[in-house]
Amino acid sequence: MSRSEGPSIGPADAPGDGADDGFASKLRRLGRIARWEVTRSTGTIDRRTLLILVVMIAVIGVVGFVAAEDGLGLDDEIYVVGVDESNPYHDVAVEANQFRPVSLSDVEIADDGESGNVDLVLTPDGEIGYVGPNGEAAYDVFRNAVGSYNEGLMAAENDSPAAYPVFVSLEYQDRNLGLFAEEGFETEGETAGDGEPGSGDGGDTDDDTEADDDTEADDDSGMTTDPDADGMPSTDDGLQVPDIGGGAGEQTAPGTPGTLSPPFPFEALVLAFLLIVPMNFVIQVYGGSIMQERLKRRGELLLVSPASRTEIVAGKTLPYLLGLVGLTAAIVLSIDGGVLSIAAVFPFALLFLGATFAGAMFARSFKELTFVTVTVSVVLTTYAFVPAIFSNVTPIALISPLTLVVFDLQGESVELVEYLFSTGALYLGSVVLFLLGIGVYREEDMFAQKPIPAKIIDAIVSQIDSITARVHAYASPFVLSILSIPFVFGAQLLGVALLFAIPDAVALPVMFVFAAAVEEFAKSIHVYAGFARSRFDSTIRVGAILGGISGIGFFLGEKATHAVQLVGIPDLSVGTAAFGPALSSEPLVLVALFFAPLVLHIVTAVISTVGATRGRTSYALAFVVATIVHVLYNLGVIALVA
Amino acid sequence: MSRDRADTGSARRESIQRGPNPPSVDTEASRSVWHARWALIRRELQSLRSEKTIILAIAIQLFIAAFSSFLVVGLVSMYDPSAIEGQERAIAVTGEDTDELAAVASQQDGLGVDRYDDRADAHAAFEEGQVDAVLDANRDDEGRLVVRTTVPDEGLQTTVLVVQLREALETLEYTERIANADRLAEQPLSVPEAIEASPYAGFTYTILLPLLLFLPAFISGSMVVDSLAEERQRGTLELLRVAPLSFVDVVDAKLVATAVLAPIQAAVWLALLAVNGTAIAQPFALVGLVAALSVLVAAVGAGVALYAPERRQSQLLYSVGIVGTLVVSTALPEHPANTVAKFATGSATATSWLALAGYGIAAAFTLLALRWYVDRLEPESL
Amino acid sequence: MAILEVEGLRKEYGNFVAVEGSSFSIDRGEVFGVVGPNGAGKTTTLKMLAGLVEPTGGTARVAGYEPGEPAMQRRLGFLPEESPLYEEMTARSYLRFFADLYGVPREVADERIERTLDRLDLEHRDRRLGNVSKGMKRKVAITRALVNDPDVLIFDEPASGLDPLTTNYIIEFTRELSEEGKTIVFSAHNLFHVESICDRIAVMNEGRIIARGSVEEIREAHGGTVYYVYATVEGSHGLEAVETADSPVTVSRENGHVEHVVEEMAHVEAIREAVEAADGRITDIQTETPTLEEIFLELASDSPEEAEA
Repeated sequence: MSRSEGPSIGPADAPGDGADDGFASKLRRLGRIARWEVTRSTGTIDRRTLLILVVMIAVIGVVGFVAAEDGLGLDDEIYVVGVDESNPYHDVAVEANQFRPVSLSDVEIADDGESGNVDLVLTPDGEIGYVGPNGEAAYDVFRNAVGSYNEGLMAAENDSPAAYPVFVSLEYQDRNLGLFAEEGFETEGETAGDGEPGSGDGGDTDDDTEADDDTEADDDSGMTTDPDADGMPSTDDGLQVPDIGGGAGEQTAPGTPGTLSPPFPFEALVLAFLLIVPMNFVIQVYGGSIMQERLKRRGELLLVSPASRTEIVAGKTLPYLLGLVGLTAAIVLSIDGGVLSIAAVFPFALLFLGATFAGAMFARSFKELTFVTVTVSVVLTTYAFVPAIFSNVTPIALISPLTLVVFDLQGESVELVEYLFSTGALYLGSVVLFLLGIGVYREEDMFAQKPIPAKIIDAIVSQIDSITARVHAYASPFVLSILSIPFVFGAQLLGVALLFAIPDAVALPVMFVFAAAVEEFAKSIHVYAGFARSRFDSTIRVGAILGGISGIGFFLGEKATHAVQLVGIPDLSVGTAAFGPALSSEPLVLVALFFAPLVLHIVTAVISTVGATRGRTSYALAFVVATIVHVLYNLGVIALVA
Repeated sequence: MSRDRADTGSARRESIQRGPNPPSVDTEASRSVWHARWALIRRELQSLRSEKTIILAIAIQLFIAAFSSFLVVGLVSMYDPSAIEGQERAIAVTGEDTDELAAVASQQDGLGVDRYDDRADAHAAFEEGQVDAVLDANRDDEGRLVVRTTVPDEGLQTTVLVVQLREALETLEYTERIANADRLAEQPLSVPEAIEASPYAGFTYTILLPLLLFLPAFISGSMVVDSLAEERQRGTLELLRVAPLSFVDVVDAKLVATAVLAPIQAAVWLALLAVNGTAIAQPFALVGLVAALSVLVAAVGAGVALYAPERRQSQLLYSVGIVGTLVVSTALPEHPANTVAKFATGSATATSWLALAGYGIAAAFTLLALRWYVDRLEPESL
Repeated sequence: MAILEVEGLRKEYGNFVAVEGSSFSIDRGEVFGVVGPNGAGKTTTLKMLAGLVEPTGGTARVAGYEPGEPAMQRRLGFLPEESPLYEEMTARSYLRFFADLYGVPREVADERIERTLDRLDLEHRDRRLGNVSKGMKRKVAITRALVNDPDVLIFDEPASGLDPLTTNYIIEFTRELSEEGKTIVFSAHNLFHVESICDRIAVMNEGRIIARGSVEEIREAHGGTVYYVYATVEGSHGLEAVETADSPVTVSRENGHVEHVVEEMAHVEAIREAVEAADGRITDIQTETPTLEEIFLELASDSPEEAEA
């Protein structure tokens, strides 16, 4: 409490109040708030705590480094194998870390092989039997382990051509079958590499693979090791996923069949993930700082200062943003990335901070804030990470800026269009989140204890008010519907990503309803907020007008995102459910398809906004009706196109 | 004026003089201490309920579970064609030495082999989409079979195709090695027949299950940190301290209220997994493990919150500490996640049981250390 | 009979002495005010009495127990300066929770809570505490301090920062509590309230008690009643005689009217004699008692060495 003075804003070196509106003095105020934020935040961490933190991080670093060498050992000995030492497969069970061998005399099996104290039994005559609920899984792992064991044996052989009798080269080649358009996406395939035998990858350079350490790379056949195409299916990895090296999968130089890697940039992805990690810690501090202002009315000091709300928020956010950019730059330098990586991560940092800011403005307590920040972390990390997995597989990956980082690390070039496509939604989304938060960054909302939904309604209404003040009350549904597009887009994308793995029979209906509900919600929630806070007359006529305007706004916004279709998302059946089918080439259908959504959006928006004029329950009912209409429409269009 | 009032006041006071109010019998006092502890626990749980934080917590766990399952199911599908049902894909086999390759490839699930004598025909068929890959097999001087493979640049399907081709070529490699047996010092072991097995089992036991079991414990710890920071921030801690119960009671109540949630959540997750067909061999050991961990973590959280009462500081210390513990635990003879996997698959060894006992002892020890710390805590520092 | 005794109570924070050797005792049923400027050590003193702050030196006994003992805590009602609340709870559930902490049976507690809230005229008993006005929060906080029906109440600034109406309500309520036999220790910087309800007060400044006693005693010791004597006298000769009468101050002299301001009754007598000797007439004698505030300002401006009443 000793630090009760606010920053001395304004009078100190601004000679009079008249200078307040100058751009320079605005900047000066902003800078001062930012400086104050830094001193205040660093002030809360005393030296002892800092020391403890440094020691902890050092220990994590050292142990983590050592652990990374040895592997995590998460799947050590999770299966038990009954096998005698005389059995040739005994060595496999010993070498593969997932298995614990026991002698056959100790094996007990009951219920006709339904249960027992082992998962696998290797009889002396070479048969392999599996026992109990995990027997099949164990068998599968064991099968792979045999492969690795063989690789290890062969690696020790002197006669390389005999041990590695098959060499494979892999080329990706474009062929134009008119299946889908790939705009703004670089062709990776180069035709016909030199299939010259006798030179190329010696199979394995992956030091982590215990079964086949240091290989035959230096033998008489003149093979050279190619660092770009390292990696063999390794068996000591925690995930049951082959460990594929950093290359894009193109393998023009021949290698053993085991080195064939599907296009998956595992290493680049992990590195890109590193860039996201610090954000999760920074937003904790940032959210805490915002929340602090709201407790015991501490933020009042700043509110009464000549600084505007936007300046206060910008000033408080700036140090964290700069800190994140600095951290990102440091990480990017250490992993040999370029400016593109920093530019790709920047909007993500902005979005992290924006979401945390809005969340901290809505939360009622620290506990709630903790969950808000965890939700932000999880959702945004998912948003960044999931699409990036498909970096080299499908253009949908470009949705996430991490894909740009992966490209950057792989040394591929990225065009401006691609950058804008990846980050546009993020920039827009963070701006909207900051606007929402700033809307309630005022005396009557900051210190009030309201449930989060009521706060969100207030935040939306404050945007309605500012639009009303600048243009007209009826302009607000138009603008707000457009602004909601990035969130609709993000939500639907996450839906696609999460439902991707589920069988279509379940995923499609869920996705149809989910996508329609998200859109209907986005179109009507702000109108409902306006009615709930009496910003509009609660008449059906006004409701219908607002709904119509909202529908038009949403339609126009959505057209802007049709870029999605150009990059090929609708090729996934789940994607179709979310974003509608790909554009047909038939001109008449095209025109109909172009304008039908306009009608749809207006009709459904009017349904829910008219419902909104009569309070919460009727809004909820109307919303359900609108969603159903929307789903039916989508089904109809898909039936028509198909 | 004031003199008058004081006089009449004191006069009236004499007449209404009453004895000490609350009954001060000892047994009554100890009963009411239990009453008070229970009230504290109830309030803590109610506040979780009314803030809907627990719902959020569970939603987050669900999301993480869905997310990580997605990651793995997605990833595994890419590498394991059997996990994705798909139609047979035609591949062109051409070159000088195609017999072995064609024989092996046609055995492979999901691949249909078309043989082309002319390389150009094969590529033409590829361009027209009649086949999805061209495999050009030739022997080199040393007797190696060199296969030039051309696949289309077509996203996910290609990925699946490449995996199928790899399997076929690995089988080819094995048969070739057997043919070279006389030149090899050690014979490769024959790879067992493939069977239909869930490719997700390893992931479920070693990643998903530990995640679902540990997460509630970590959230519990975080809730203790927040709860104590909040009491202090609001000043309610002072009210609890003037009430007739010790500060140890207050901290205990918070630990009980939050630590008890984790084993319950863990039990629910285990039940759900069991319903979904993931066999859990030793559920009670796992719930016990989670209980021990959550007490341990919650006690550490309380200690951190008391050491650094400012929330930003304590949450930072706590989260770095948790990440640190996870990393440092790799130095244990058995990683906690590995212990969980072993209990779940029924492959628990003596080490696993020792580890479980160790966590229990560590929890008890941490609890004692926390009590000792709370007792000697300067009241003013709060 | 003293229910609360304090002997040489002292609190140091490092080199800073927050409270320096306070001693006083309070009788059962008394209302005892602790007054002084901000930072005088009032809150620290009260917190030491409540057992929240460990004294560096000296002793305190509350209802025969040491502060912090459970038996003492059951007899104590403490109201901190701010109203700490669980904002997500309703007034009723918040009060019940504390009743549970004190082991008050549910029926007794409910009856007590409703009665107290009725007396404080509190509505919205089922509204979340985060959404009620400051005055209501204070009333709930006061009710909380009474859930265990304590013998001793320690109120830190019970009415600070509230509107006059609520303030009056709370002061009246405190008075009623004292009439019911509760012993109340009460800190304030609004001296009007102290004056109107306290039997005795202690004035603190810079960690020390610089004056102690009943309001009257303090007033007498530090500036008693002032007498304004108005007289009319014919002729200037008489006027001069009156002016030179044994009186410290002549305030005004105008057209034969004289106004004297004196502090002792003896001086009034002297003036009356002088006026009568000059054939004049005393038209009016008014008295004015200084407010505690005035005494307090005077005391606070003096050096703290200045003694006790």
